[in-house]
Amino acid sequence: MDFDLNDDQRAILEAVEALLEQHAGAARAIELQPKGEYDASLDAALADAGFSDVGRDPDMGGLEATLVVEAVARAGGVVAIGAEAMVAPMLRDEPLPTPIALATAGHGGAVRYAASARSLLVLGDREARWVALEPGDCAPVRSNFGYPMGRVSAEGTTRGDGLGVGSAARLHTAWQLAIAAEAVGCMEAALAQTVGYLKERRQFGRAIGSFQAVQHRLAECAIHVEGSRWLVREAAYQRAPTEGVATAAAFALSAAGRIFSEMHQLSGAIGFTREHDLHVWSMRLQALRLELGGVAAHRRAIVAARWGGVGS
Amino acid sequence: MNVRFSKQEEDFRAEVRVFLEPWRDLDGFFGQGLKWKRVRELFCAMGERGWLSLSWPEALGGLGRGPAYEYILWDEVGYARAARNPLSAGIVARSLIRYGSDAQKARWLPPIRSGELHFSLCYSEPEAGSDLASARVRADREGDEYIVNGQKCWQSYAQDMDYLWLLARTGTQESRGRGLSLFICDKNAAGVTVSPLPTLDDDQLNEVHFDGVRVPVSDRVGPENGAWSIMGEALADERHIQFPPGRVRRDLDEMVEWVKGVGLAGDPVVRRTLADLAVQVREVEIYGLLVLDRMQKGRSAAAEVAANKVIHTVVCQNIARAIVDLGGPEALVIGSRPQLLWRQSMWETIGGGTTEIMRSIVAKQALGLGARR
Repeated sequence: MDFDLNDDQRAILEAVEALLEQHAGAARAIELQPKGEYDASLDAALADAGFSDVGRDPDMGGLEATLVVEAVARAGGVVAIGAEAMVAPMLRDEPLPTPIALATAGHGGAVRYAASARSLLVLGDREARWVALEPGDCAPVRSNFGYPMGRVSAEGTTRGDGLGVGSAARLHTAWQLAIAAEAVGCMEAALAQTVGYLKERRQFGRAIGSFQAVQHRLAECAIHVEGSRWLVREAAYQRAPTEGVATAAAFALSAAGRIFSEMHQLSGAIGFTREHDLHVWSMRLQALRLELGGVAAHRRAIVAARWGGVGS
Repeated sequence: MNVRFSKQEEDFRAEVRVFLEPWRDLDGFFGQGLKWKRVRELFCAMGERGWLSLSWPEALGGLGRGPAYEYILWDEVGYARAARNPLSAGIVARSLIRYGSDAQKARWLPPIRSGELHFSLCYSEPEAGSDLASARVRADREGDEYIVNGQKCWQSYAQDMDYLWLLARTGTQESRGRGLSLFICDKNAAGVTVSPLPTLDDDQLNEVHFDGVRVPVSDRVGPENGAWSIMGEALADERHIQFPPGRVRRDLDEMVEWVKGVGLAGDPVVRRTLADLAVQVREVEIYGLLVLDRMQKGRSAAAEVAANKVIHTVVCQNIARAIVDLGGPEALVIGSRPQLLWRQSMWETIGGGTTEIMRSIVAKQALGLGARR
């Protein structure tokens, strides 16, 4: 038993963080927001340095990819790194054209990154499919939840190439885990941002963070973030078992609701303004909470994985 | 005990509903700044009927009616989503009625009553949010004028208002609440700069900078260093209409319509959620009525008022968040009602006194727990 990262994992983490320091961050995310732009240059930098493909490396795998996704989310990167690093490698040996967006068969609607995506991975009942997209296939959709979005047509989710037996289940678990890993990164950053602010911000002659009632709430949030992180990493380490992934997703996305609400409440008025960076991570938490059926669906997936269908 | 409104009061409610018919598409309760022209027209239409001065003394042009009428009016306006009660006819007018000179009453009350003149509340500062007694914007007396310097922050609607209701320090910093005074300041006076702070609901708050702004002594309201009790009394005068339950009732009604529209009305989990929220909305309503009762009897009710704010605003958020959680990613698209309510309601538990400050008041006033933080 050893929860510490090994030397290789630490090296990956340090390297990706150094890259993100240069190419990502809250200011970059805010710069891209008004037009709903995708950060193509960050995507290229991550791919060139091999971080998008770390999940395909025979000596590495899901845990390393998870570390990358957590780090990109902490840096507010506007790239579809979850789909690229954690999902695509579970479905095809050869890399797919990027960016990659994720959708559910028969369900059109607003999809993260769809407007700039070159590949759409579609979750069907039996099989996953890969749909090659051209720019403009999915119209951009205006939204204020931290991700550029595009509209996928229900018809568009029925096209493409089947990815074989078992691909639907693999896509489902990988997608769930990618959402959870991204939520972990966003929660960590939102918490760190807020704790830093509350150490500085003084009212009634003292730092707000010195009030015990505030400390208890932050501590409770920190416990939830840590729990989320380790459940996600455990699931990744165990090669994404269905129940473990659903558990990590249910826990992390439930925590995400609480972290969102507490970080904004404790940050007060400034947290409601766009001049404060908190929204870069906090608004994304809500978008992640709704994807793939949301917390309720993750919970149902736990029951299905553990006890099978109702009545059977 | 009688939890019913009188026949006359119910008749007034019916009259208000008819009046509001042409304004039901206004939606000025949210993003008032984006619809200010029509919101002002609504206020003027209300002013023509004397509804912005329902409870003012008749000698000052009011209708001299009780707080129940105001409660009913703003409850219905809130349900119609038409507007929020204007600060001018509320806090500003009530302070002037209690503390203004005859000249101030004569100058300011008529255009406030008619709905033509509007004020932005300039209380909060970058370093004085919850801790308002630490406000630093200074007003230094020079002959017949005060010279105002400093920065206010997070002012709602200041971009559209005509005048500023300004809290400024006239005593020492150490005198805290005992060294503050209230002023009326022309927003267009030299040295006043209003700049926007874009907010997460696509609306804005504002920063207001004062750079050597000259305010005549005759525009100070009440005694020098007397702001604290004036502000407290004006807030108490307004407590029954600050958080009209109609807004929350409407939130739930919109949610039910939305649930029906997306075909989820038969889903047992959704129905349980709706039932839970319906109970919460009843709690909001009964607290609103409790505050009204205390108000009618002239009783101080700091704990009930604070509790009412907490409940009202938290339930707003609970409803908005429940809808978005049911709605999936489509609920995040700009233009959809759920995401607007979701984003707007973030502000409710912060603006006008945070939930944390309100809970401290309940602990102190209702439970007798000491002031030690």
